[in-house]
Amino acid sequence: MSTTIERGPAGSADAATTRAMTVPDGQPPRARRASSASRIGRAPRGIVVLKWAVIAIAIGFTLLPILYLVTMSFKSPDDILSTRILPSRIAWENWASAFEQAPVLVYLRNSLIAAAIAAVVALAVAIPANFAMARLRTGGSRSMALIVSAYVAPPIVAVIPLFMLVRTAGLMDNVIGLGLIEGLMVTPVAVWLLDGFFRGIPEEIDEAAQIDGCGPVRTLVRIVLPLVAPGVVAVAIIAFILVYNDFLIPLMLTQSTASQTLPVGIALMQGGREVMFGQMAAASLTGMIPVYLLALFLQRWLVGGLTQGSIK
Amino acid sequence: MATVAPETAALRKPRGRRIGWAFLAPAFLAIAIVAIYPLIYTVVVSFSESSLGRPFAEWVGFDNFAKVLSDGVTVPSLGRSLVFAIPSALLALVIGFVIALSLDVAVRSGKVVRVVFLLPLMTPPVMAGVIWKLMFAPTGGLFNNVLQLVSPGADPILFLGSSPAAMVSIVVVDVWQWVPFCVLLLFAALQTLPGEVFEAAQVDGAGVWRTFRHVTFPLVLPTLVTVLMLKLIVSFKVFDLVFIMTGGGPGLDTTVSSFNIYRTALQQFDVGAAAAQTIVFLVLVTIVIVPLSSYRTRLQKAGE
Repeated sequence: MSTTIERGPAGSADAATTRAMTVPDGQPPRARRASSASRIGRAPRGIVVLKWAVIAIAIGFTLLPILYLVTMSFKSPDDILSTRILPSRIAWENWASAFEQAPVLVYLRNSLIAAAIAAVVALAVAIPANFAMARLRTGGSRSMALIVSAYVAPPIVAVIPLFMLVRTAGLMDNVIGLGLIEGLMVTPVAVWLLDGFFRGIPEEIDEAAQIDGCGPVRTLVRIVLPLVAPGVVAVAIIAFILVYNDFLIPLMLTQSTASQTLPVGIALMQGGREVMFGQMAAASLTGMIPVYLLALFLQRWLVGGLTQGSIK
Repeated sequence: MATVAPETAALRKPRGRRIGWAFLAPAFLAIAIVAIYPLIYTVVVSFSESSLGRPFAEWVGFDNFAKVLSDGVTVPSLGRSLVFAIPSALLALVIGFVIALSLDVAVRSGKVVRVVFLLPLMTPPVMAGVIWKLMFAPTGGLFNNVLQLVSPGADPILFLGSSPAAMVSIVVVDVWQWVPFCVLLLFAALQTLPGEVFEAAQVDGAGVWRTFRHVTFPLVLPTLVTVLMLKLIVSFKVFDLVFIMTGGGPGLDTTVSSFNIYRTALQQFDVGAAAAQTIVFLVLVTIVIVPLSSYRTRLQKAGE
């Protein structure tokens, strides 16, 4: 997506003079030739109305469940059983009990630590690999295919063997062990998404570095890495979110509150007999806030990372 | 892949090669740990009588395969994986495409719209399952509350407790989560289409529908296929939503393959049988994804 800035006389009837200029917004350069802006003026009115209707419905469908969850988290049990839409009074006790009766903050901490470790591990493994494949031309497309195909198989395939491995390695029920394994699991995604960024650098740049006597390591660290920094940021966020949101692997590799992540904790909460809707809603929202904040503040990188890497 | 001028490739060869493989080594190690080792382990274990506590207790040949193929649960669970994956992928793709095509009118409010559309994608699937489970609840859930307002005294709809409503409900939740992903990728692709083609179409007097049919659609077809393939891959992985929303029920109505394998390994403790189920499932995923993948490669070659 790009931001449009109107140039020329505002509100001019002449579409040709109101040349819309698109400004790249954390976008790959090839997205720059956006043509949509120039198309708007000429689209029939009915189509424009239709498009707005689609967007309005989509936004409604998108937001309804999230807003519903927010209202649920403030509803007393009576309100939940009644058919009213908004709570009759703000039931803060849902939030209090979510934090008191369930170790939500411990779960949250575990989730954040595991996700952060995983993002670092995935990048540390992926960056040199991407550099080798895209810039040093080692391994070719077959290495890429091998690495990426690891992501195609459903994770259930790896769960039992990894369970055995982690148990043997003594990393069971350990946040750091979980972060490590998750990091290796998201490495294929990281490699795949970073590829576009690494290949986007002009050929001449590393040639110049080579002529200046830079070895591969220095070329990577000093020259290539700064150029792919937006991609690295994007992929770090994506890897973080993938791991933060994951359920199956932490479900298998953690057993106690000390290492369970928030999705696991919430899944266990709702397994109990006494399901407290309001409390569940509060705990779930707590887990959603960190990723929503990432979406809010880092969306440019996120969108850039997702679109640059995967549309090829 | 980008082409390399032969002389630069030659220039790079002597030193680049070895260090290149050294740079790749950690990634290969990662693949060995999370993909190759699990695959080999699974194949080997599938020929044995195994539990989590006592793996490889006894070699049983193809017994596990014979058992799972005739247990009346595994084969239907494969079918359910398809019944879930194909509609959920197609729906997310089509709805995402319609939204992506509409989004150009909203470029000016792009940032707000973009953040809103990111939210479902960012929501942890477990939480998405919780949200929708609350909405689908027979008492106090949003949809049944609305039903009560419309026709007071009506029997509540058991969205997650009846068939086929349960599977449909999980597909709805999955679509809610993944439409944004399709919108994001398809909108980015639409943005890269050359404007001249549309101008030419307009000069030729092509209407909205004909422009879409003959210009836009063929140009984004490779991206559509890519996104469909990615979404199918993701759909086959579904586990969290089933675990949270239905636990595989009612009966076995939402027990897709991943969930069935999980049950076999962790509730029936039969790791050998679970491994055999896993291999059968992998074969299914391969049969679906590989033709799509090669079609995609052909489209991309044709486009270049």
